[in-house]
Amino acid sequence: MSAASPRYSAWSLLRARLAGEGFWQPLWSGARLKDGYDVVVVGAGGHGLATAYHLARDHGIKRVAVLEKRLVGYGNVGRNTTIVRSNYLLPENHYFYEDSLRRWERLSRDLNYNVMYSPRGVLDLALSDGEMIGLARRGNAMRLAGIDAELLDRPGVMKFAPELAAAGPRRFDIVGGLLQPRGGTVRHDAVAWGYARAASALGVDIIEDCEVQGVRTAAGVATGVETTRGFVGAGRIVFAVAGHTGAVGRMLGLNLPVETHLLQAMVTEPIKPLIGSVLIYVPPHGEVYVTQSDRGGVVMGGFLDGFPSYTREGQWYRLEDVVGAAVALLPQIASLRILRHWAGTNDMTMDGSFIIDRLRHDNVFLNGGWCYGGFKAIPASGAACATFVATGTAPDLIRAHNLGRFASGHLLDERGGGPFPVRQ
Amino acid sequence: MNRLVCPFCGARELEEFLFHKTLPEAGASEYSAVYERTNRLDDSLEHWQHVHGCRAWLEVRRNPSSGDVLEIRMIGGGRN
Amino acid sequence: MRFSFDGREFLGQRGDTLASALLANGVTLLGRSVKYRRPRGLLALGPEEPNALMTVGETPTVIPNVPAPQLVLRDGLNARSQNRWPSLRFDVASLLQAGGGFFGAGFYYKTFIWPSWRAYEGLIRNLAGLGEAPGAAAIPPPSIEHLACDVLVGGGGAAGLGAALAAARAGASVVLCEREPELGGELDFETATVNGASASDWIGAVRAELAGRGARVLTDATVIGGSDGLVIVHQVPGGLAGRDSMYRVRPRRFVIAMGAVERPIAFTDNDRPGVMLLGAAERLMVRYGVATGQRPLVFGNHDRIYAAAARLVGRGIRPVAVIDTRAGATTESAALARHRSVLERAGVLCLAAHAVLSVDGRGGVRAATVAPLRTPGAARRIECDCVLVSGGWSPSVHAGLHEGGERRYLEGNGAFIAASQPEWRLCAGAANGALELAAALAEGFAAGERAAREAGAAQGAGPVPVASGDPEPRLVPFWRSPASIAAEKRQFVDLQNDVTVADLRQALAEGFVDIEHVKRYTTLGVGTEQGRTGGALGAGILAELKGETLGSVGASRTRPPYHPLTLAAIVGHRAGQQLRVLRRTPLHEWHEANGGVLEPAEFWMRTRYYRANGIDAFAAGIVEADRVRKHGGVVDGSTLGKIEVAGADAARYLDRLYLSKASTIKVGRSKYMVNLREDGMVLDDGIVLRLAEDRFLATTGSGHAEHMLAHFERYRDTEWSGAEVALANVTEAWGVIVAAGPASRAALGAALGPEWTARIGQLAHMEFADGMHGGAELRVLRASFSGELAFELHCRPGLTVGLWQGLVEAGLPPYGLEALDILRVEKGYLVGSEMNGQTTPGDLGMDGLLKLGNPCVGVALLDRPAFREPSRPKLVGLKATDGKAVILGGAQITRASAPSRSLGYITSSAYSPALGEWIALALVARSDAAEGMNLVARDPLRGGDVPVRVTAPVHFDPGAERMKS
Repeated sequence: MSAASPRYSAWSLLRARLAGEGFWQPLWSGARLKDGYDVVVVGAGGHGLATAYHLARDHGIKRVAVLEKRLVGYGNVGRNTTIVRSNYLLPENHYFYEDSLRRWERLSRDLNYNVMYSPRGVLDLALSDGEMIGLARRGNAMRLAGIDAELLDRPGVMKFAPELAAAGPRRFDIVGGLLQPRGGTVRHDAVAWGYARAASALGVDIIEDCEVQGVRTAAGVATGVETTRGFVGAGRIVFAVAGHTGAVGRMLGLNLPVETHLLQAMVTEPIKPLIGSVLIYVPPHGEVYVTQSDRGGVVMGGFLDGFPSYTREGQWYRLEDVVGAAVALLPQIASLRILRHWAGTNDMTMDGSFIIDRLRHDNVFLNGGWCYGGFKAIPASGAACATFVATGTAPDLIRAHNLGRFASGHLLDERGGGPFPVRQ
Repeated sequence: MNRLVCPFCGARELEEFLFHKTLPEAGASEYSAVYERTNRLDDSLEHWQHVHGCRAWLEVRRNPSSGDVLEIRMIGGGRN
Repeated sequence: MRFSFDGREFLGQRGDTLASALLANGVTLLGRSVKYRRPRGLLALGPEEPNALMTVGETPTVIPNVPAPQLVLRDGLNARSQNRWPSLRFDVASLLQAGGGFFGAGFYYKTFIWPSWRAYEGLIRNLAGLGEAPGAAAIPPPSIEHLACDVLVGGGGAAGLGAALAAARAGASVVLCEREPELGGELDFETATVNGASASDWIGAVRAELAGRGARVLTDATVIGGSDGLVIVHQVPGGLAGRDSMYRVRPRRFVIAMGAVERPIAFTDNDRPGVMLLGAAERLMVRYGVATGQRPLVFGNHDRIYAAAARLVGRGIRPVAVIDTRAGATTESAALARHRSVLERAGVLCLAAHAVLSVDGRGGVRAATVAPLRTPGAARRIECDCVLVSGGWSPSVHAGLHEGGERRYLEGNGAFIAASQPEWRLCAGAANGALELAAALAEGFAAGERAAREAGAAQGAGPVPVASGDPEPRLVPFWRSPASIAAEKRQFVDLQNDVTVADLRQALAEGFVDIEHVKRYTTLGVGTEQGRTGGALGAGILAELKGETLGSVGASRTRPPYHPLTLAAIVGHRAGQQLRVLRRTPLHEWHEANGGVLEPAEFWMRTRYYRANGIDAFAAGIVEADRVRKHGGVVDGSTLGKIEVAGADAARYLDRLYLSKASTIKVGRSKYMVNLREDGMVLDDGIVLRLAEDRFLATTGSGHAEHMLAHFERYRDTEWSGAEVALANVTEAWGVIVAAGPASRAALGAALGPEWTARIGQLAHMEFADGMHGGAELRVLRASFSGELAFELHCRPGLTVGLWQGLVEAGLPPYGLEALDILRVEKGYLVGSEMNGQTTPGDLGMDGLLKLGNPCVGVALLDRPAFREPSRPKLVGLKATDGKAVILGGAQITRASAPSRSLGYITSSAYSPALGEWIALALVARSDAAEGMNLVARDPLRGGDVPVRVTAPVHFDPGAERMKS
């Protein structure tokens, strides 16, 4: 374990200034790979790190390792549009995501790392009275669960987000919207680094450049993982590998109800504050969510590229679709320039909701199928998954998110898209 | 990968095509065919339709890690 | 030309850029940095310029962050500097500089935790961000052009011109794009010759020859990125968005010859105005006649600093010193000896193995501190008015790194090139590491010839042009001058984001060791210049701090776009009303002319209500619906999806797609049918007409026709191949008028004449008649979506208006979607609100259809345990218990005793004029869905709780007497 990272505060910054070199310590790293662990978590993304953190913090499991193929936070946790919200329709989902949102609210303090939770409001826009009914259905479901939601009419939308008033009549204009005031954004990289630092401080070994290539079993039980750095024994194994969930299935001889698709996102050059919240606009056959980062870049994301891919090279025509919807919503941003554009690999499930469950063996767990809702789920996912792994029983919050639900018909299909990831 | 070569129409922009689904292994149950995916990293057998073209249904074998199209053939004789 | 900068008026020359004109006017302070608000001048002349970014235009239609050196001056141009308040010269936030050590890399992750980030965010957001946010749309859509060619050449410098020339001579069709307004790249600054002619003469000759051979030359045109044979090129004349063009180029071969970007060297206070890249200063002088200073100090790590200094002497400007970081041991080339002797004669101090440690001056450079690298303590101060720095060149290879391309490190360049290329791409020239003119040109020429040959051009390209110019620069990588730890806080690596050497060192100390982590943690190279200067420099310094080679440190991954691209350019014409296709029914103009209020429904425009009937949809809908029940009306049903299914196997084929059988429908009759998705959920419903033994018309929900056609085609072609079935989407081949209400039969007779009157009179429910009217086909189907006696008229689009007009005149007033919806809610008919992809046929009360036992698509997966559980929803009707309260779609249903447990929700509701109260359709858990159950409709968003009672889904005329009358 490395020398402890000092507690962060404005005071620490002053002290660092006086102390000069040597004051700051690595947030993580320095860990040497041991022969075996109580729990091996595969994947140092948001879910893997949060799971490891909670295993150590909440359940006192001392010997935990996170094995990462490349770098801490190199996957989707750093490739999303940073939106957090709990405005889900189905109780199984909104209670879970609300748990997550409550954890986001205090995460900077819990981790002693500023993840810049910005409750700026998430506004789903309705483009017809029919869509208003759909939003009311969702908002009322949230309110029944004690989650904040407000239904805005058109003047209410324009008052909340005056930047929307700059447009003339849109081809698909705004009728109203569903606002979740506590929804907002979080600084994505900070989440990975903050969890890594906190987990490391609790004794978790975070091992980068260590790719897991197989699971070793004996008598029907997993005994460890084969890695590029040799065999690592494990009492329990958790896979949290996002776009590679399907490949984990193959590793274990399973055809999982997941499929990997690309989701593109992009950011423009920074400008002074223009967009104060998160805006979600869904014209027919398209979708865009727009926000502005604290640095000033307009961040946009849309819908899936439309076919399975691991390439991380998004399709130009989908970029056109997403940007087209953004400019339809906010014509004033047309003269801004895209600086960066990226694609994440999403493990889409056949009902659009995630899966946390045992995988083939009693001591192998899957934390995956996050579709494009993974980032906002990280705090709750880590806590719930850790409880499952530590106690052997799935906590209520994730009990419905089992792997058997597809066969039993207990589907968690928020959008009614069915077993077609592209429509989820 | 930004084009597919339709056996009937020739090379066309990918946006003319619509991916439908990856195909199950032979002998898969109805449930498995609908819900489960083989998730091969380098070899994916899929159904696509040239929906903004000749409307033929195509069986496409692709490498989803590289984007390379390995094989493409028309199903059902491209009627209509 | 007059222009204004920060409210002051200036004069500039035609052909100037904003940067050159400002410098010519003696304005050197052009911006402030984002974080520390340090005063900044011009560093570079390309899009890599990190400092001199301007907000152009008048509020609200401003364009922010325009690099001044890329913005061609135009009369009346109005530009403002950024990141300053109240003025560029005095900025309040620049006081933050005092806290330089406090605000090190990632300081914001360590503080602003109490009480919450939100408490600080507003202030920080206002300080961050570069230019002014546009308040209104500022630019028109660009033109978009699709090009196909044998060879696309990116870059119009020596290598690119060579490549284009060779390819064109070989007989290939060629497109050449060059980022700058003029061809030549770095060529025109060199005392270079090609085939004995001056470089500028040769460029002119090449341009003429390319034109003669039909090649297309695009200037002001930047390659944005390219993969798998598609290259995106963006052309921005004058450097200001608004007159741009996009090109989507499909070349057989793509030659990447986009040159290299000069990079600086970090030293203390290297961000001061007056510290400029050597190449930029030379170009300023040659192209715009602007001298950066009268007493420049030249600083670098290669032979070309001597050549440039000698050229300065030739132009009457005597550099005060040439500082070379390399030890003197390098062998003298003939060219170098020549330059040195010029400098010696002019009395220019030349120091080898020295470096600039720092500069003095705040708003400009007053002096430089120079020291031997072996003994940095023995520093001397040299007065100068600018420092022209060159640390080498980083190949512009981004376009060669897409599709998972790897980099290769070239030690001699201190830079990376693309390691290998897919078949369709070649790299050449400085972009490929060839810095010597003759080599770059030869490499470009060879690449062009090869590209042409591979693209199928058969001729030879002839001899390679022989060039002579500056030889190899013999660069020895040098990234930063020695500095104390304290001074590292003022050694700037990325000027736009104020990333210093101290920040890189801190990142390493905190365990951010990998270049990708360093980039994310320090924000190195994520600015508008996309790491062109700072990224390369940062990687070099990082390698030094880590004690590794740059080759092993690597460079962070580049992503498209290579060059910032406006959203307008991406969207093209698909903006505003053109976002999606607009579908109008044949009656569109009639509706508009007669007070119809049209709203989008998917791509269609449909009439919600008619203004004459009420002030809004709610009021008018009630009037219109009431009139239909009492008398009658017509509604435009043209958007109804229609798929014709024909062939010997048509009936059996449809049997497999629908819950009930099409094969039992008699010719001339129709049937209401439902089909399922593969997973058993209801997909769509509609009436299927049997037109002939082997011909059916399947109707679908509005906007569903395309999806349903694909679904139909898929089963025909992939699952049951061999079925003799032809399918056609005939949605827009027919206009549809629905005449409904007790008076509809008589009105139809009056409008269609006696022949049709008799036929219509004989039509049974769900029966139809085909015939002619007004010289064209007409089909009349007796079917109802309102519960009234009703007829669907299918006619040719051109006849629809006449027929409609006739019916209106025969006494059937028009009604809209609002009334249609009231009527169908009264009858418990389904739309997408109920068939929402989450409901099974059992949920929707289709047990009768299920009992038929037809093993169609989707049935197999209905046999899952969850679908039989009491928590599964059931379609019911609801009414307010008090008979008065408003109940709205989207309200959640609970028991009074368990108000936070949802049992379901209201899918649709309406005020029923026929019943005089609000009615609703709802999906409620079977456990609580029995008729007569008392529940609560909870609508905290819009009102409150309304006690409701469960009813049958059919609220009106349950015996269906009216439509059978």
